[in-house]
Amino acid sequence: MTQTDPRMAELREIVAEVLELEPEELTETGDFAEDYQADSLRAIEILARLDKKFKIEIPQSELPQLNNLKAVYDAVVRHSAGQA
Amino acid sequence: MNRVVVTGLGPVSSIGIGVSAFTDGLREGRSGISPIRSFDASGFPHRNAGEVPGFRPEALLRRIDPARWGRSGQFAAAAARLALADSGLDPATVAVDRAGVVVGTTSGESVVVEAVTAQQVEAGFGGMDPDLLRQVPAGRLAHAVSTELELAGESLTLATACSASNYAIGYAYDTLATGEADVMFAGGADSVCRWAHAGFFRLGALTADACSPFDRDRSGILTGEGGAILMLETLEHARHRGARIYAEVLGYGLNCDANHPVAPDRASIAACMRAAHRNASIKPEDVDYICAHGTGTPANDSVEAQAIFDVFGDRVPPVSSIKSMIGHTMGAASGFGAIAGTLAIAHGFLPPTINWANPDPALVGLDPVPNTARQASVRVVQNNGFAFGGNNAIVLIGAVE
Repeated sequence: MTQTDPRMAELREIVAEVLELEPEELTETGDFAEDYQADSLRAIEILARLDKKFKIEIPQSELPQLNNLKAVYDAVVRHSAGQA
Repeated sequence: MNRVVVTGLGPVSSIGIGVSAFTDGLREGRSGISPIRSFDASGFPHRNAGEVPGFRPEALLRRIDPARWGRSGQFAAAAARLALADSGLDPATVAVDRAGVVVGTTSGESVVVEAVTAQQVEAGFGGMDPDLLRQVPAGRLAHAVSTELELAGESLTLATACSASNYAIGYAYDTLATGEADVMFAGGADSVCRWAHAGFFRLGALTADACSPFDRDRSGILTGEGGAILMLETLEHARHRGARIYAEVLGYGLNCDANHPVAPDRASIAACMRAAHRNASIKPEDVDYICAHGTGTPANDSVEAQAIFDVFGDRVPPVSSIKSMIGHTMGAASGFGAIAGTLAIAHGFLPPTINWANPDPALVGLDPVPNTARQASVRVVQNNGFAFGGNNAIVLIGAVE
């Protein structure tokens, strides 16, 4: 399911750009901070881009949980529900 | 080395303009927070700030024409004019090249920059108003003071952000201590502007209605504005003219860890406190009151308190944050802190941390002077100022011995 959702590819592009990685370097469960040296400002930037791209509002309080691509995808799906 | 004293205070703040109104505001625990008028905040989820809607530059300024200067320059010049008046100094008795000014800021004339940018977006480069463009350079904050007071000594603006006023006071202290000037005007100025509001909101550091430093449920800053200038002079100069002396600048400490763009660093803040104590030749147990940086963000207040515990051990003096009342006035913040600290010494009271409801279980042992000003004998004040990038500046002020 995850693999077939076109949003996953878009998310991978967005997150890879913010973290200054090639999209293929980014795994679904790789930890942004541990594995890709991201800090809290990068996480905020990812959040801001998601809000803009998908016209959703992810509360800032969820920021600490958005620590890998899978978690970001789940948050986008969760907050898109009811909008589609 | 000359000793350096504070003899004039010029606060232009949301809780009072002039030393008497500002003192009353601190004693009453007044809140200067109101709905934003400086820009259209209707699109923002949060819409409050510590503006100074009662600021009438034309009522305070005598020489400079407010129409030719940005709002931050007006704040700086008006605050300096008030400080001069408060000091009782007759400017004619000071050689103009022996009197200078240092002003700290975060945003400079960002209100002007935003206006010019809007014109450019609207109508291209040709649409920018040349008169507004002239007001853009941040260096004009100090020049506004020099021009207003006809000073020919150093005229310097320091852009070290939220600790800039303490940097300015430290610089002025050196200038006076080494005999390069007799009188210095030092402090900071900033205006509420859209980018700071937007930026702090996006960082998750902006609260909605009330800033509550050191409270368990604190949730961020409110931006603020104003001008905070202290008139400093050498003790010899002050005594010679029979001046009323509020307090003495005992020394200061600076460091910059550059560890993280926004996160404060406990070890370097503690190191800055120790450097300031060394420079002022005092010990932690001499400090009666800490005027905190106390922004009201979870991160700042926690790290600041931990650093205080590290340095002060089990003898932690009361620690309050005037940002609870006036918001985060950015480059002016530690200037207001220095003025509040000076008044604490002169009048024997501790300014409160308002909006405080619940102790933070992680900060046991911290006395934030909750909600109500407290009578106290204050001999030495530590005034904290920390800026993004880990740029820390701390000033120590003491009763004149």
